Amino acid sequence: MQRLRPLLPLVAIGGLASLPFAFAADTTRFWQGVFIQIFILAIYALSYDLLMGYTGMISFGHALFFGAGGYTAAILLRQAEPPSMLIVIAAVIVVGATIGAAVGALSLRVSGVYFSMITLALAEIAFILFKADDPKLKPITGGEIGLQGIVVPAAIDATTYRLRFYFLTLACMVGLYYAARRLINSPTGRVFVAIRENEPRATALGYNTLHFKLLATAISSTIAALAGMLMVLYEKSASFEMLSVNLTIQALLMTIIGGIGTLIGPMLGAATIRLLDHGLKGEFMQALLPAWLRPDLVFGIVYVVLVLFFPAGLMGAIRKLRGKTSRSSVERLRQAMKPKAES
Amino acid sequence: MAVAAPPTIQTKPLRERLAPLVIPTVFVLIFATVLMVAPASWPKLITGILLPGLTLAAIYFMISAGLSLIFGLMDVLNFAHGSLFMLGGYCAWTCNVWLDPNYAGHWPITIASGNLRFIIGLIVGTLVGAAVGSLIEISLIRPLYKRPIYQVLLTLGLVFVFDALVRTIPAWGSLSRAPIKPPMLTESLSLLGRRFPSYSLFLICLSVSLAVLIALVLRRSRIGLTIRAGVQDSAMVEAMGINVRRVFTGVFGFGSGLAALGGAVAASFIGVYPEMGLEYQLFAFIVVVIGGLGSYSGAAAGALLIGLARTFSDHLVLETGLPTAIASASTVLVMAVVLLLKPGGIFNKN
Repeated sequence: MQRLRPLLPLVAIGGLASLPFAFAADTTRFWQGVFIQIFILAIYALSYDLLMGYTGMISFGHALFFGAGGYTAAILLRQAEPPSMLIVIAAVIVVGATIGAAVGALSLRVSGVYFSMITLALAEIAFILFKADDPKLKPITGGEIGLQGIVVPAAIDATTYRLRFYFLTLACMVGLYYAARRLINSPTGRVFVAIRENEPRATALGYNTLHFKLLATAISSTIAALAGMLMVLYEKSASFEMLSVNLTIQALLMTIIGGIGTLIGPMLGAATIRLLDHGLKGEFMQALLPAWLRPDLVFGIVYVVLVLFFPAGLMGAIRKLRGKTSRSSVERLRQAMKPKAES
Repeated sequence: MAVAAPPTIQTKPLRERLAPLVIPTVFVLIFATVLMVAPASWPKLITGILLPGLTLAAIYFMISAGLSLIFGLMDVLNFAHGSLFMLGGYCAWTCNVWLDPNYAGHWPITIASGNLRFIIGLIVGTLVGAAVGSLIEISLIRPLYKRPIYQVLLTLGLVFVFDALVRTIPAWGSLSRAPIKPPMLTESLSLLGRRFPSYSLFLICLSVSLAVLIALVLRRSRIGLTIRAGVQDSAMVEAMGINVRRVFTGVFGFGSGLAALGGAVAASFIGVYPEMGLEYQLFAFIVVVIGGLGSYSGAAAGALLIGLARTFSDHLVLETGLPTAIASASTVLVMAVVLLLKPGGIFNKN
C-alpha cells in the first residue's frame, strides 16, 4: 500500500481525465459543466487555503480577489477589439497581485480579527460599488445586471468546445496545485508556516514577517483572480455576486469541509459542496425535503455543525483512519488568531 | 552668578499628550475642506449635514457598542452581530404590520394605536435579539472559548444561516419592505427654516440617552465594575469569585439586544431587507476599528465620526456630481486614514 502511494496523483488525474467518457452520451455534457465548476472552485479554495491554512491569516474578503479577476477579464473581453487571451491573463495576474498587495498593505498593519474585519469591509465596498446602478459607474461595471454577453476566443469557447474547456480547467487546477505545493515546500513556504505557528519567533529569527505576509496575500489573491477569470470564461458573464460575502463563505466552507492547511482537502471540499448542492437541488431531494429547508440553509447549518464538531474536516478524518496522529490544525491555528493586544 | 534653571517637571512628552487630538483634528480639517469645495449655508449645514450625520451615528452606535463590549470582555468578534440587528428590525416590522387591524392577514390580537404597535415592536425586537444572542453564546460560542478562531468562523456561518432563514420565512422573504413610522413621529419639524423629520430627532435622543445610561452603568454600578474588570483581565475576575461565564452571557445578550433595538428603530427609518444586517455590520466594523476594539467610548466616537463622514461625503458627491456609490465607499477611506495614522484605533492605549 505504502509503495503505491506515489501513484495516487497519477490515478486521480487519470480518473478525472477519463471522467467525461464515463458518462452516457446524453448526460456527459452536463456533467462536464458540473466538473468544470468544481475545478474552478477548487482553484479558488486552494488559494484560500494558502492564506488561511498555511500563513494563518483569515481573510473574510476573498471574494474581492475572485471578483477582481473575473471583472478584469470581462471588461477586457468586452472591448470592441478584445486583446489576445495572453494579454487578458497577464492583466488578471497583474490586477490580482496588485489588489492583493494593496489589501495586504492596508490590513496587515493589524492582525488577528482586525485582518478579517478589514478584508470583509474592503470586499463589501467593492460589492457596493459594483452593484450600484449609478449612471457613471454602470457602463464599466454593469450594475445589477452585470456584464453579459462576453465574447470568448473561439478556440476555448465552453459552449462549442465543452470537452476542451474541461481539460483546460483540469490542467489549470493540476498546474496551480503543484505550483502551490512547490511554494509550500520552498524556503518561502516554510516561513509562511513559521508565521502561522509563531509569528514573534519568526520575527526574532530575522524574517520580515510583514513582507512574507504581503507575499502570501498577493500570491493567494493572484490564484483567486485566475479562478475568477476562468469562471467568467465559462459563464460568459460577470456579476456582482462574484464579489458577495456568500462567495467568501463558500471558500471557508470548502476549506473547512476539506481540512484546513492540507491543500488537497479544500479541493475535495469544493467537489463535495458542488455535488451536494447539486444533489440538494435535484428533483429527488426536492421532493424529500420540506420546502422551507433551502439548500442555503442546509449549508449554513452543516457548516456550523462542522465547525463545532469536525474542525479537522475530510482530510482530518482520512488521516485519522490511516492512524496518523498529527497535531490538529485547530491547535496550530489557535496561535494565529490571538488578538495582538494580548501579546 | 547665574543659577541653572531648575529642571521643569517632566510629565508625558507633548507628542503623547496631543495624540488623542490627532484624529479629530484630521477630521475637522477634512470636513472643512469639503465645505470649502462644496459650500453650504448655515441652516443647510445643520439640518442637511450635521443632524442627518448624527442620525446615522445613532444607529451605528447602537450596533457597534455591543460589538465592541463583547469583544473587549470575551475576545469574541461576533460576525453575526449584524444578523441580530436585522432580526430586531424584522421583529419590529412584523409587529407593526401584523398587529394592525387594517391588515388583511393580521394576527388574532390586534392593536389599533400605531404608536403602541411601534413601542411593542421595539420591545419585542429587543427581547428577541437579547434572547437569541444569549442562546447563541450558551449553545454555540461557549464550547469554542478554547478555539477562538473557530468562534469567528462559526459566527460568520451564522450570518449565512440567518440570511437564509429570513429569506425562507414566507412573511419576510427576500424583498425589501418599506419603513412604517408611528403616527406620533411622522411629521417634520421646522428647524432654522428647513424641514427636519421628527423621527430622526427621536433616533438621536434615544441613542444619546442610551449611550449616557450605559456609560453610567459601566462607571458607577457594581456590574459595570465587573464588566470593566473583565475587559482588563477576565481570569482575575474569575479568581475573585465572580462567575465570569454568567457575565459573559449577560453582556453577549445585552449587546445583542442593543443591536436588535438598533435594528428595530432603524426598521421604521430605512425599512427592512435581508442585506441590512451585513450592510450595517460593515459600518459597525469600521466604527470599532476606528474607535479601538473593546473600547466603549471608542465606539461612540467612531460612530460619530463615521456618521458625519458619511453625510459630508454625500453632500460633496451631490454638489460635485461624482458617482453616488463613492459616498458609500468613503467610510472605508476614513477607516484607511485612521489605520494609517493609528493602527490600534483612537482609544487604544497600546
